[in-house]
This record gives sequence, structure tokens and C-alpha cells, in this order.
Amino acid sequence: MLDRESTFKDPEIVRLLKSRFIPVAIDQAYQRRQKDAEGDFYRKIAGQGPRNNFQGTTQGLYLATASGKFLGFNNNRGGDRIRRMMKKALEGFRASGAEVIERGKVDARYNPSPPEGGMVVRVQSKVLGGYEETTDRWRKIFQGSLSRDNLWATKAEHDALVAGRLLPALQKRIARYHLVDNTRGEPPMWKADEIRSLELSLEDGRLSGTVHLETANGKRGYKASLLGRVEKKNGKVTRFDLVARGEFWGEGTYTRGAPKGRFPLAASFTLADGSDIADGVPPQGSRGWVRGYLRQ
Amino acid sequence: MNFPKLFLALYIALPAASALFADGLSEAEFDRLHKKLQASSEAPWRTIPWRISLLDAQRAAVSEKKPIFIWAMDGHPLGCT
Repeated sequence: MLDRESTFKDPEIVRLLKSRFIPVAIDQAYQRRQKDAEGDFYRKIAGQGPRNNFQGTTQGLYLATASGKFLGFNNNRGGDRIRRMMKKALEGFRASGAEVIERGKVDARYNPSPPEGGMVVRVQSKVLGGYEETTDRWRKIFQGSLSRDNLWATKAEHDALVAGRLLPALQKRIARYHLVDNTRGEPPMWKADEIRSLELSLEDGRLSGTVHLETANGKRGYKASLLGRVEKKNGKVTRFDLVARGEFWGEGTYTRGAPKGRFPLAASFTLADGSDIADGVPPQGSRGWVRGYLRQ
Repeated sequence: MNFPKLFLALYIALPAASALFADGLSEAEFDRLHKKLQASSEAPWRTIPWRISLLDAQRAAVSEKKPIFIWAMDGHPLGCT
């Protein structure tokens, strides 16, 4: 989140990335574990940098040649250091005779695909108010941020929507993994028994309902109303728009800095059309356990 | 307001209010929030031609003779948060 609004807002860095580099964005928790050609290539690059213990995080910004030669690393935010690193790498860069690495057999655990015949829905959330005013640059970014994740639905769930039904598994998945405050970092997902109530119905293409999510100790929760629209054509869902809006309270280990007390949080759901590269990113809640995410 | 007029006003107003609060979200608010909560395609970081496969990037780096820039995070940088 912070990188998006700092490093990758720098006009010079954006220009260099568009013209002089091949930019790629990854969740390194996958690549550092993958037992396949992609994992090998990532570990070859990262292993030459300072974060070469693959039992822990290797997050950061890496520069490398197509043959895997390390050209630089930085885990800072903001333009100056990254710009310098990029320019230095370009000065020393000579395109070698690297060959394309064949994908070969992929490590299925870390290469999840959306369910065949199912659907991908963009989920974007925002805290609508409640923050104390700040002059701190980084806090301001968090306070204004719009998060992004993807909801995956199975073929059975898609087909049920076409038939005018909303399956319980899809309702629970929406609640547990997508009605979260992920606007300041990786959020804690809801456990099954933290769904205190969930009533979401689909009638004549209209989705409506309410949800109450709360941890056992009451320190984190969300009470919201939902309203949406589902449309279909020729056996396919052509519209899945949903909005949840309600009061959230609490925060997680990686989402510190939430507004005090209860604050308004909204989430929008929109059927993805594949036009955004982020449509191909697996749901955060499926990380390492797609079957569990889809099963519900 | 006399009793019949008050009764008439409540008769008209209450169903509308209960419809609003039963769902919690009005149609107008649904439309407004759904539009508001959409990422702008003009945000600078979204104009960068990111790939999400490191091997696709490697292939492009070979053919375009360019170095690779890897944005590697905990959680996917284009999603997750």
C-alpha cells in the first residue's frame, strides 16, 4: 500500500519501469517456497541479496538480469534510493545471451488458478471516516487507501447464481475473507465461529442482507448491511455488484493504526473482466490453502 | 397536526423508513459507494505494465534485452491490501 503511493508514484521511477525494465509483482511467500523453475529462479536472485534465508521473508525490491544475475536490492520506500539503485543497475547492465527458462512442471500448491467455470470478483474496501487528523505522510496514505483483493467463486456457486440462488458457501466466503479491514496491511481473516450472524438473500437479482462478525473477546468486529445486484445472460453471470457498509472496530497485528472505537468501513464487489492484471492474483485468504478457502 | 393528519403522515413515512432500515443501505447509497470504491486506472502505480509471473518477466527480459524489476512483498503487492 505504502509503495503504491510513494515509490511507484515517483514520475521518474514510473518512466524507467515503463521504458527500461521488465516490472513484475509477486507475493514472495510463494516463490521462495516453490519447488519448480520459477521458485528456483527467484531463489537464485534473492539468494545473492541480503535476505537469503528462505525460511523467512525475503520481501523487497530486486533488480536482476534475465540470467538471474543480481543487480540490486532495497527494502526502503520513497523515490530517492530506489531511483539511484535503478540508474546504477542500468549503468552496469549488459544484455547477456540468456535463454528463456521453460516453465516445466509447476508446483501446484503455489500456482493456484481460479476455479474453472467459476468467477473472479474484485473486492475493494475503504475506511470512510473516524481517523484523527495527521500530518504524517505515511499515516495519510493509510488513511486514504482503497484496498484490493479478489473473491473466487466455484462453478457450482456461479451456476447457482445463474439459477437465482446464493449458496451458503459463497456467503460464508464473502464474510470470512472479504469483509475485513485490509486497508493498512495484511488483515486477520474471520474464523468460522466468528460469524455471529449472516443473512444474505438473492431475490429477483437483488442481493440484500446483514452480517455480524466478531471475535470471541469482542475486540474486533464488523456489523454491516449489504445490497447488490446479480445479472445473467446466456447461462453466465454478467454482473455481480455488491456493497457492504457498516461499523468496524479493532485491528490486527499487521493492520495497526485503525481509528479509535467504531468506524465506518465499506467494501465493494465487482465482477472482474480480466482487463486488470490484478484480476489474476489469488485471494489473500486462499494463501497456501486454496481448497480450504473454497470449501467453507 | 390533528390526529388524522398525523396518522396519515406516519402511514406514508413509516413503510419508506422501514424499507430503508431493513436493508440498511438505500439504492442510492449502494450506487454511490459502488462507484466510489473503484480504483482509478490513472493512479501512477496502475499505469506500470506489471506482470505477475516471474518466468513471464524472464521471457520478456530475454526478448526485450532489459533487466527485471521485482516487487516482492508479503502478500501480493497488487492485491492483498
